[in-house]
Amino acid sequence: MNLRDKLRAVGGSSGGGKPRSRETGNGDCRHLAVFRPMSEFPGAMEVRRETLARLSAAELPESFDPRRILYLDTETTGLGGSGTVAFLVGMGYLTDGGFEVHQFLMRDYDEEPFLLRHVEAGLNRFDMICTFNGATFDLPLLEGRFLMNRMGRDSLQRPHLDLLQVARRLWKLRLGRCNLGRLEEVILGNPRENDLPGSEVPQRYFAYLKTRQESLLQDILDHNAQDIASLCVLLTHMAEMYEHPERIRFSEDVYSMGRALERFHYPEEARRCYRLASRGRTGSLASAALAHSYRRGGERAEAARVWEEMIAARRGGVLPYIELAKYQEHTMRNPAEALRLTEKALALSSEATLRDSGTVQEIKNELQYRRRRLIRKMEAADRKAREAEAAAASGEGERKSNGIRNDVQGEQGL
Amino acid sequence: MNVTQLADRLRQDPKFMENVTRWEVIPPRPARTADFPACLDERLKPVLAQRGIHALYTHQARSVEATNRGEDVTVVTPTASGKTMCYNLPVLSAILNNPDARALYLFPTKALSADQVSELYEIIEAMGVDIKTYTYDGDTPAAARKAVRQAGHIVVTNPDMLHSGILPHHTKWVKLFENLRYIVIDEIHSYRGVFGSNLANVLRRLLRLCEFYGSHPQFILCSATIANPKELAETLIGRPVTLIDDNGAPMGERHFVFYNPPVVNRQLGIRKGAIPVTRSISGMLLKNGIQAITFARSRLTVEVLTRYLKDMVRDPLGNAGRVRGYRGGYLPTERREIERGLRAGQVDAVVSTNALELGIDIGGLDACVLCGYPGTIASAWQQAGRAGRRQSASIVFFVASSAAIDQYIVTHPDYFLHQSPENALLNPDNLYILMSHVKCAAFELPFEEGDGFGNAPGMEEMLDYLDGENIVHRADGKYHWSAEDFPASEISLRSAAAENFIIIDITDPARHRVVGEMDRFTAPMLLHENAIYMHEGRQFQVEKLDFDACKAFIRAVDTGYYTDADLNINLSLLDVEKEETVPRGYRTAEGEIKVTALVTMFKKIRFDTHETLGFGHVRLPETDMHTTAMWWTLPPDLVASLPSDTLKNGMMGVANLLRIVCPLYLMCSPQDIAVVYQVKSPITGEPTLILYDNCPGGIGLSQKAFGMREMLMEKALQVVRDCGCESGCPSCVGPVGEIGEDGKKTAMYLLKELLK
Repeated sequence: MNLRDKLRAVGGSSGGGKPRSRETGNGDCRHLAVFRPMSEFPGAMEVRRETLARLSAAELPESFDPRRILYLDTETTGLGGSGTVAFLVGMGYLTDGGFEVHQFLMRDYDEEPFLLRHVEAGLNRFDMICTFNGATFDLPLLEGRFLMNRMGRDSLQRPHLDLLQVARRLWKLRLGRCNLGRLEEVILGNPRENDLPGSEVPQRYFAYLKTRQESLLQDILDHNAQDIASLCVLLTHMAEMYEHPERIRFSEDVYSMGRALERFHYPEEARRCYRLASRGRTGSLASAALAHSYRRGGERAEAARVWEEMIAARRGGVLPYIELAKYQEHTMRNPAEALRLTEKALALSSEATLRDSGTVQEIKNELQYRRRRLIRKMEAADRKAREAEAAAASGEGERKSNGIRNDVQGEQGL
Repeated sequence: MNVTQLADRLRQDPKFMENVTRWEVIPPRPARTADFPACLDERLKPVLAQRGIHALYTHQARSVEATNRGEDVTVVTPTASGKTMCYNLPVLSAILNNPDARALYLFPTKALSADQVSELYEIIEAMGVDIKTYTYDGDTPAAARKAVRQAGHIVVTNPDMLHSGILPHHTKWVKLFENLRYIVIDEIHSYRGVFGSNLANVLRRLLRLCEFYGSHPQFILCSATIANPKELAETLIGRPVTLIDDNGAPMGERHFVFYNPPVVNRQLGIRKGAIPVTRSISGMLLKNGIQAITFARSRLTVEVLTRYLKDMVRDPLGNAGRVRGYRGGYLPTERREIERGLRAGQVDAVVSTNALELGIDIGGLDACVLCGYPGTIASAWQQAGRAGRRQSASIVFFVASSAAIDQYIVTHPDYFLHQSPENALLNPDNLYILMSHVKCAAFELPFEEGDGFGNAPGMEEMLDYLDGENIVHRADGKYHWSAEDFPASEISLRSAAAENFIIIDITDPARHRVVGEMDRFTAPMLLHENAIYMHEGRQFQVEKLDFDACKAFIRAVDTGYYTDADLNINLSLLDVEKEETVPRGYRTAEGEIKVTALVTMFKKIRFDTHETLGFGHVRLPETDMHTTAMWWTLPPDLVASLPSDTLKNGMMGVANLLRIVCPLYLMCSPQDIAVVYQVKSPITGEPTLILYDNCPGGIGLSQKAFGMREMLMEKALQVVRDCGCESGCPSCVGPVGEIGEDGKKTAMYLLKELLK
């Protein structure tokens, strides 16, 4: 057996050899341009810097202009690792007249350096990059490709907004998975037809390398151009949500937006969202978040008022009782009221409407603990009062007691 | 009672001593030291002094010096000789001098990594310098990985992680690859066979990437005692190394007791089993408060012995916890807990497979019991080395099983005590393994025309083949990876099979939990449906084996038996490489074959009495393996002159003899090769004796056997001639019950004829 036969025996053979695809020797990669009219991107030019700042922690360019955002998406030969190549990179941007997409395609591996140089030049012309999942996929991949082609990586060092991360913060609660296709359908109301599933992209490209039939790539080019245009539409949609939370139809989304705003330190706007959301299906969640937000901001009385409203509306189970008990104990120094609330909470938790038995037991244990502590505290206070009385009676004078310990530090929210 | 007292008492016990074939006392050895080499960074010395180290052992000083001269170094030292200093000192020195310098540490297992890092941490902390040491393995949290990639001065990992987690993502490890100064590989003796052949290729890939990034790392390798450490190291890294094997560390007195269980049936030559004997010796140690490790050959034996010993001390206080089992397949947390227990003295007895043979730090134990010969001299010494460290006396019991090789060792203790340990063989150019790694390498960095891959042969043909299969794609004189797969995920370095089986306990329907895993080759033997699977002495029954999904579902049971599966092997010929017709009229050849393995049934065996209670059927797909082989046909006139039953028995006898002799002279472990006989072989169409490498692609043992084929026959004849038995016993041709009354005579006749 010669080596070739052995290799076949060991590795298996697909049978027929392939037509020898040879280097193209064109000295450049393929460049395609697609133009979309502005009518497809209503509102895109009105996106403001202040709104974008609320979307993520991404650093923003000083002088902001929607036309200086580069929307980027890659099509690759695999799911990552040094052997995965971006064979098609599409870059789109707004102009005064509409939206332009420029696609760079390598017709064979020898065109990769040319493709990368176009990408580098493209990136350098813009202030900011916008992608969908670029933070974990497209940008590190391009970084690796630059590195392997011994090119600099500075062009990637600019502000980047990853819409997948924004989307997850806004819609994960309602939608679960947040891939672009689903968002186009559910959020933008614009489902795709005859779209090539992303998982088939690599095989298409390899088939193209083998056969050289350009028609095999058409679906990929369309898919890529559509993805890029959708990025711009999606960003516009997100910006509008942030500008007008009262127009959002789903309370889950409003509540989620509140959480996102709070995370990026916009507590006032976050509370506005929570208040909007407290009327919908996510009412308890939103009210609790609102109260927590007040408490974090040091507005304990406001927080207490929200808990009281929740109790009045019979929402949120034992949580508002527990939180109010904490408030009464530590802030108002009213152990008697705290004990009353604790006992209410205990009675309520015994109804065991909560599903997870482990959690219920934990809550009960903590409530019992709190109850015993409150009783001890009240007894101690009683004793002290009697002693003070006795002392006063025996004419010893009065002495101020500052001995009540502030337990707030040690308190863990349930 | 301490070890010396126990040894004295046993030596005065005639009932015990009548089964002892040899009681060897190895005298204590004093330390030999040398001054700190001048090349060490000054900041290290005070820290070492704080730890009571005022001089280095000779082997440590020499390896530091050789490394400083820029040589690749291999240090050979027994257990507990302070080998970690041999690499930690040069590495720390280098990083102190140049904070950009990086080092990569490879340990064969995760457990070892965790252990060695803690020691390194202590030194670094004592120096108060900013040298970041990180473990990077499957347990490293995703959030911490980025820091490891960018800031780790010393990255500690294992070959599997390097292969699938680091090399394929090298662009994220720029800092490491650009500044890689040292590659430290510990326990290189464990990289033999398939694992070693894989590692050699992983290193070829690593060096190829270093070249791309412009770094030129040096190697520091450590090995336990084997016959060919230099050859092994050089094959692994593909470069010449400087060997340092002058051990300067001290060692306390050691007793080595060879124990052959008494014969219980003189006619059949049957001895008392090694398991019950081990049970009483380990039990005696446990009762006398002597901390001991018991090594058993199989996972099954580990579980059986663990259960026996636990039962011995079980009480309401939970003393059964003083006895622990330990083997591959336990989860990492459980293993760490057992290791800690051993070090802290909370665990008095541990029963282990060779999983604890490697340098996992479990402290010095007083005693070690080997239940059966571990297969190689090197492993036997490694396991024995678990007992006794620098100062105190220790004792090792070798309990021979009835297996022929055990009997050979226990009756020829001098062979064991004076023979040099085995060669560790590996074959980086095994075509299966090589091709897998060439794919990974192409994924990592395109090959250019004329590129080599270490010193692998036939690269041009290999790349052309891969191009033809559309796995790589040639453009502009380069071979680019052009498949969607992630090739590293298709290879497991430790076995030829890709995926491990996961073992899931479904006893509690609400909480299914993963209790362990097992490789693809072993799974059909131990996880077939209705098998009793044992874990820490607890019994489970396999309810379902999902072969395609690689999952086994088990449920806790309490039965009085365990199960043992039968493996069926079929062979077919792929290719004849070399063939010779001997004047006596038979052929001997070397070539490639396909081995098909199938488990069809299992036995239920009762605990304690070990009697067979019944059988069950197994329905599982076959597993195929291509490997290298050599074989002998028998002369036709000889075959014609013997009745077929006689011929068959004689061949079986010769095969049994070859099974004893070949591992000894090929210097490999018995499970590395297989010897079978076929009265009408599909390979030759004639009566044939076949020896093959027991791993896909082979590691070169058959070729080696072909080169010494005549000598192997001579040695086989010598063993059967020297054996005192009448007509066959387990130490030569096999027991009479197996080979028949005339088996021994016929085997001798066949061997003499073949040697004419």
